[in-house]
Amino acid sequence: MRLRFVLGIGLAMLFANSAEAFTAYVSNEKSNTVSKIDTDSWKVTKTIRVGQRPRGIAYTKDQKYVMVACGDDDTIQLIDTHTDAVAGSLPSGPDPEFFAAGPDGKLLYVANENDNTVTIIDIPRRALIGAVQVGVEPEGMVMSPDGKILINTSETTNMAHFIDPVKREVVASVLVDQRPRFAAFTPDGTELWVSAEVGGTVSVIDPVKHVVEHRIEFAIPGMRSDAIQPVGVNITREGKLAFVALGPANHVAVIDIKTHKVLKYLLVGQRVWHMEFTPDQKYLLTTNGLSNDVSVIDVASLKVVNTVQVGELPWGVTISDH
Amino acid sequence: MLIKAVVVDRAAVKYAGFLLAFYAALFSPLRADPRYPDWPCAQPKVPELSPAAMWNGPAIADVGNSWQDDAKIRDLVELIAARRTSLEAAQKAVAEFMVGTPAEKEQKAKQVFAGLFDTLSDQRREVMDGLERVSRKEVDLAEKIKSDVANLRKLQDKPDADQSEIKNLASEIEWSTRIFEDRRKTIRYVCEVPTTIEQRVFALARSVQQILH
Repeated sequence: MRLRFVLGIGLAMLFANSAEAFTAYVSNEKSNTVSKIDTDSWKVTKTIRVGQRPRGIAYTKDQKYVMVACGDDDTIQLIDTHTDAVAGSLPSGPDPEFFAAGPDGKLLYVANENDNTVTIIDIPRRALIGAVQVGVEPEGMVMSPDGKILINTSETTNMAHFIDPVKREVVASVLVDQRPRFAAFTPDGTELWVSAEVGGTVSVIDPVKHVVEHRIEFAIPGMRSDAIQPVGVNITREGKLAFVALGPANHVAVIDIKTHKVLKYLLVGQRVWHMEFTPDQKYLLTTNGLSNDVSVIDVASLKVVNTVQVGELPWGVTISDH
Repeated sequence: MLIKAVVVDRAAVKYAGFLLAFYAALFSPLRADPRYPDWPCAQPKVPELSPAAMWNGPAIADVGNSWQDDAKIRDLVELIAARRTSLEAAQKAVAEFMVGTPAEKEQKAKQVFAGLFDTLSDQRREVMDGLERVSRKEVDLAEKIKSDVANLRKLQDKPDADQSEIKNLASEIEWSTRIFEDRRKTIRYVCEVPTTIEQRVFALARSVQQILH
């Protein structure tokens, strides 16, 4: 009896150890679907039909829904994570592309690409509660770690706009290189990294002084410089490494945060744009739009360890907390 | 008969006008890359593929054209580069060929990738040159339609116009418009081809590297 009990515990622990499986949802812009991936088997377990042109994608804070910006349907759809069916929508304003949630997970700030606006939505009430005018073609969105400043990048104006989320107005704008696509804060909030797709650089901005302090450039031997088009930026929780997706260069650059030097370039899939860490930070998933797959980077060894085929033109990825 | 001819003329003129507006939109300054004024596709033009974007295997700089000297490699490259060969069949052929000692495998990998890259890059370049050639023809034809339409309007305004001349010009416009429209559809379809080729090089390069590692 006792042996069985011990065995039972042993089995349970074994299960617990191998059960560090998370769920990833990937938006497929061209096939109008979302692929659900199990991060233990690295298999697509479900393909969910959503609205047209799904791009920005993220879990709600309570993990009950996955929000998907369906640009051509002018809405953000909510996928119920228990049933994997579309179970509602948020009034996003026209052509939503990307969004960021506030620290409490109640408010959502949406970049409306064709409307030069950031729309503010109350998620629980599913109501549109305000808007902020920004530059032309807003895209990148991120909230500072302390929740006091919201950043939006505008692709055509080439600026990172600093928005006060309480006053709902732009308080500062910093000029960066051409076509800024994505913004990310270091975990301590002392640096804001903004990628420029056409400029081919990442600007490291001091978010208090509002000035560009460093400009990170990329060079891959044998590659034309115009093929290097930085988009997604993801920074490890302890703030040591940053990963930058280089678009049609098909590589992800690994950067030392302290020195701002590129340590390595990893060959992933074709036209890599967005990325997300698993919550244990063991893996980084990248969406590769042209090879229609997701690459899995092992963060400790800095190696690509898996490839998962998804729908057409994968754009964004979000991963469950548990 | 006369009434019918006039109706056809009006329809032809209207349709031609619509197409020209569409074509003007296609070449609007917002879309066009000033470096490539003849590029007709919505997809941005990437003139050359780069091996570094597809390959992190052993360096291929020393391979040059030597892959062409080996008939087996030449045949394999021809087979896997051809669009009629499915990707799965091409991957299987690569796997069957890539056997031997590690050194032999590495040598084969370099040759296969170099051959594949050269062959499909050439193919892609030809497709892109063709697209630009057809696009220039479309611009010329659009100009011709525009001037024919203007002439037709002038003729129609003349009270003593020769009706057979009107009819001939209207039918000429109709014919040119049809060619214009057919080519436009072909261009849209062919615009996908450079990307399809790029996807194929990448997928097969990945297969070669996976076997190597």
